Amino acid sequence: MTNTDVIVIGGGPAGLSAAAVAAAHGARVTLVDEQAAPGGQLSKQIHKFFGSREHLAGTRGFAIGRRLLEDALAAGVDVRLGRAAYAVYPDAGDGFEVAIYGGDDPAAGSEVAAGHGRSTTLRGHRLIVATGASENPLAFPGWTLPGVMGAGAVQTMVNVHRVRPGRRALMVGSGNVGLIVTYQLLQAGVEVAALVEAMPRVGGYLVHAGKFRRAGVPILLGHTVLEASGDGRVERAVVAALDERGRAVPGSERSLDVDTVCLAVGLSPLVELLLILGVRTTYVPALGGHVPLHDLDQQTSVPGLYVAGDAAGVEEASVAMEEGRLAGLAAAESLGRGDPGALARTKREVVARLDGLRGGPFGAVRREAKARQVGELAPAPRVVPPHPTSAPEPGPATGVPGRPRPLAVIECRQEIPCNPCETACPRGAITIGSPITNPPRLDPAACTGCGLCLTACPGQAIFLVDRSREMARVTFPYEYLPRPEVGQTVTTVDADGRPVCEATITAARLTGKADKTWAVTVAVPDEYAGVVRGMLRPRVVT
Amino acid sequence: MGDDVIVCRCEEVTAGEVRAAIRAGARTIAAIKKRTRAGMGLCGGRTCARLLARLLAEETGLPVAEIAPPPSRPPVRPVPVAALAEEE
Repeated sequence: MTNTDVIVIGGGPAGLSAAAVAAAHGARVTLVDEQAAPGGQLSKQIHKFFGSREHLAGTRGFAIGRRLLEDALAAGVDVRLGRAAYAVYPDAGDGFEVAIYGGDDPAAGSEVAAGHGRSTTLRGHRLIVATGASENPLAFPGWTLPGVMGAGAVQTMVNVHRVRPGRRALMVGSGNVGLIVTYQLLQAGVEVAALVEAMPRVGGYLVHAGKFRRAGVPILLGHTVLEASGDGRVERAVVAALDERGRAVPGSERSLDVDTVCLAVGLSPLVELLLILGVRTTYVPALGGHVPLHDLDQQTSVPGLYVAGDAAGVEEASVAMEEGRLAGLAAAESLGRGDPGALARTKREVVARLDGLRGGPFGAVRREAKARQVGELAPAPRVVPPHPTSAPEPGPATGVPGRPRPLAVIECRQEIPCNPCETACPRGAITIGSPITNPPRLDPAACTGCGLCLTACPGQAIFLVDRSREMARVTFPYEYLPRPEVGQTVTTVDADGRPVCEATITAARLTGKADKTWAVTVAVPDEYAGVVRGMLRPRVVT
Repeated sequence: MGDDVIVCRCEEVTAGEVRAAIRAGARTIAAIKKRTRAGMGLCGGRTCARLLARLLAEETGLPVAEIAPPPSRPPVRPVPVAALAEEE
């Protein structure tokens, strides 16, 4: 039996942030997570994240996970990886008992599955549940065949174990997970036949979709997968168009030769441990289904029990970090730890950032849903000022003919919570300001064409256009193997992956700061300066 | 969803078996679970609970919002009995 002030279950962005903040304000904190790697889902994420500096925006997911772990350890958190919390009970006093099972050292995560390890009990005065979410299923004939898998499994195989799940895949679902994993499959050398989305629009950020649209992967809106079939494993899948009532349109069926069907059809908050303790829940489809009620401090209907991150309603890693910080602050404060002034100041900063993250049209749905969720428990929810909605950027900017330097062209037109371009620019030429969902504005006079914003942009939505010579130069971000070489002749593509023209690579830069994102420059006829946004990946022989 | 499509992978329960349970009177996920074993496998219903809720909604006309998640009780992760016996 270990006694502590605060127990945190879950070592993802919410749990690690909660633990670090509570410990920094003087609480004794123990954190458990069933995985051996820190960061929860972050440990599988190889793309650069959105958000602001406080969310380590522009950093690749797994590196964010490591940083959050370092911060928690530095704050004095007792981190126990490779241990699953399998039961929770109220203890005799004001606290909780958590039964955990797993290995004896942080590297022993696999022992949980192998049936070794032992069961121990933690006792704490406060409990923060940050267990994340589980993937939603989609049942169709053949969905139990080997080759049909969730996006999380694909990420584990491709990004953690470096194993390709197949040679040609069908992606189902266009939320950010489906979009990101499609791009990652391409990076791993898996062909993606198509992405189907039942809704008439792309669910996630268009900049994420843009990354694989440039590779020519078609997005079939208003389509779904009807069945998968094959001899002992997936050999083909049938997709079809849906009518307004969600039924397959007869005659629209198409068979695709694929060996992998990847399901990315949403997430559900993982609330089992909270249900055991009897928390009140409500049903909010925009947050993933049955979600626990919680107040503005992330405290549930059970005193001393907090929830943060996707377990509190499915949102994003940056939101999870801020919710975790709120829970950690509140838990420390309720135990009389920390300096009241410092606690209040930190909380104000966190609340302001959280409001910013829930701004814009994407955030508005979650902001309203969250207000309802909180409102059911606490009758006086925080009044969130409506964010001004800025007009989208006017039509494509195509650089300036005769300008002696390259000019950044920012093709980021949705209001998403992200600002690494603003912080990357040494000249202050890019303005986002507050709220963080404002689209970036470029001051062409201040832009030197240095390209720091191009590789900093997690959405790969910034390009450089140089029209000072007869042949224009277009620079774009690139994250595929083989490495691009100067002098190589390549086929350039537009934003939808349509071939534009043959071109020669005149520069290929990779700086340490760019963290594996190349800035590739090609020479193209001037009339294509506003069109070329990437290149076809040279065939890889495997 | 056809009757022969499996909804609970752990226990290999089909949509047809779940529909039969509902027609025989099951009105909650817990009741379906008791009649069919759907949701009683290794994953504890984490995968199929949403599918069971959808079938229940389709068969009975209940709104999905009113279908409670399956009851939760320890252990929520597979733990060998030996580990429990040795608990410190």
